[in-house]
Amino acid sequence: MANLREEIEAQIAGAKRTAEWQNVGVIREIGDGVAKVEGLNDAMLNEMIDLGRGITGIALNLEETEVGVIILGDYTELQEGDEARTTGKVLQVPVGMGLLGRVVNTLGEPIDGKGPIKSDVAYPVEKVAPGIIRRQSVSQPVQTGIMPIDAMIPIGRGQRELIIGDRATGKTTICIDTMISQAKLNKAAEAAGDKSHRPLYNIYVAIGQKQSTVARVIAILEEAGAMPYTIMVVASASDSATSQYLAPFAGAAMSEWFMDNGMDALIVYDDLSKHAVAYRQVSLVLKRPSGREAYPGDVFYLHSRLLERAARVAEKYGNGSVTALPIIETQAGDVSAYIPTNVISITDGQIYLETDLFYQGVRPAISVGLSVSRVGSAAQLKAMKQVAGQLKGDLAQFRELAAFAQFGSDLDAKTQAQIDRGKRIMEIFKQPQYNPIPVEVQVAVLWAVQNGYVDKAPVERVKEFQNKLTDFLTTRKSDLLARIGKEKAISDSLKADLKAASDEFAQTWK
Amino acid sequence: MKINKRARREANQLFRLCVANDVLDEGRAREVARQVAAAGHRNSQAVLSHFLRLVRLDQERHTAHVESATPLPVDLRIAIEASLMRRYGGVLTATYAHRPELIGGVRIRAGSDVYDGSVLAGLTALEKRF
Repeated sequence: MANLREEIEAQIAGAKRTAEWQNVGVIREIGDGVAKVEGLNDAMLNEMIDLGRGITGIALNLEETEVGVIILGDYTELQEGDEARTTGKVLQVPVGMGLLGRVVNTLGEPIDGKGPIKSDVAYPVEKVAPGIIRRQSVSQPVQTGIMPIDAMIPIGRGQRELIIGDRATGKTTICIDTMISQAKLNKAAEAAGDKSHRPLYNIYVAIGQKQSTVARVIAILEEAGAMPYTIMVVASASDSATSQYLAPFAGAAMSEWFMDNGMDALIVYDDLSKHAVAYRQVSLVLKRPSGREAYPGDVFYLHSRLLERAARVAEKYGNGSVTALPIIETQAGDVSAYIPTNVISITDGQIYLETDLFYQGVRPAISVGLSVSRVGSAAQLKAMKQVAGQLKGDLAQFRELAAFAQFGSDLDAKTQAQIDRGKRIMEIFKQPQYNPIPVEVQVAVLWAVQNGYVDKAPVERVKEFQNKLTDFLTTRKSDLLARIGKEKAISDSLKADLKAASDEFAQTWK
Repeated sequence: MKINKRARREANQLFRLCVANDVLDEGRAREVARQVAAAGHRNSQAVLSHFLRLVRLDQERHTAHVESATPLPVDLRIAIEASLMRRYGGVLTATYAHRPELIGGVRIRAGSDVYDGSVLAGLTALEKRF
């Protein structure tokens, strides 16, 4: 016994207690969610700073005599003269499958009242985007379920497609539809035990939105059964500008986990206009020099580094992808403002929504002429390419001729036929919200349009024709739809079957 | 007091002129302060306020505050000063204070670096771990 005590005493005597080193500063000034801290000579850019009282900040401005720290949390508890310490860590958020179906704040903390998040992995919010060696070009489609998009402005996995338009033109709806479509596809593949299906997980980042709007989005996703495949990152209008500035980066970190683990993710930034405004506020409070429209000089870099994190990585590196759908709200249709032009130039295309079209009843109010997908066509299904190849041109011609026809001049038969076809296509492209259409149905319907079956229906009954044709195909020709989905191209035999099915339907159509 | 950009810039310039070999020349600093005050320029007060802040920050950077629960013996003080000299060079002055709440050990603050070997720091770290 005595031996044991001696041994322990010897251990205690031999144990060296090293002094703990810390880099400490003093809060000199505080306000508007930003603290100026004197000292902190060893602080690093974007390092987390422990401000005491359980409050954390991020070092954003490193100056000669002080450090500008943005505060995460309630800064009213802090006082001038309080000590601040460096932590040697950058801001991290939890990532992983445990976040699916959850609503979290910028720090990845749950705000849905469903208890703690099961995650043992964390990613830094600021991360360098994959380099050119790790990337591969876009080749797999994102089926949005929105017919004009899938047909004319296809989006590929790993693409960055901007959704731009004025307020209340259906920007968020397009993204919600896309998320619901992914959930439906994921569910169907799970039910069928389809191992070849690559599920696409959704991350929705709400920046500066009203809490009521966020609650509505959650309710829609829950009703559509899309929440189990979705992570909601919320920095609402009542949250600090700091939280709003960091929210998209937190969302990007969560989506990168899926990419790094060979999975596919879709991230919606709703919206980057409000994000730019939040960053402007933070920058002005930090007394950074302001530029055009009082935005700081690095607002382009802010969005470019965020959107560069959307990528499709090569098979060697896991074959995962992050597809980004940033949203920009324009003022009175002005796409030439500072932030819209920045984001247009960063992304791989844009879907432009017009107020006029929206109020004319064309919903989704996509302006076909101004919308473009720069890389998505490489990812489009061959079957869709075969039936939709001419659509954009047809619609462009229709718009031109329709404008000409307004003068009331007599039109030759060919021109009249083009106008009639255009009107029918416009009707076909109208689609109720939260009701994505499976790609096989889209292909079959567009094949019928291309081959003149829809011409038999008067313009005002085209939608009815489409709905009945869809019902006919899904109930009586489901094997044909399944073949389209499987073969992914319209072969001669498939063409013959489509013709037979369309003829059969045309006979019953009254 | 509102210190404008120009006053800050001028104070920075004056401060740099008072530094030789990374050490503030106190004689020059006094002379600068006297002459700026005597000039009676409308910006003088702002310039001097910022100059004072820079002097304060410089002094903090070159001062080591040594705190201990009980007064330190002279040989320990000499040893501490020697190791501080080795780390920060010969431009550091040490001040000593008693803080019984530290319970035991020493806490040294040199500029923005804090070396905390006190019992209080150990207990706080332990508390955090739990």
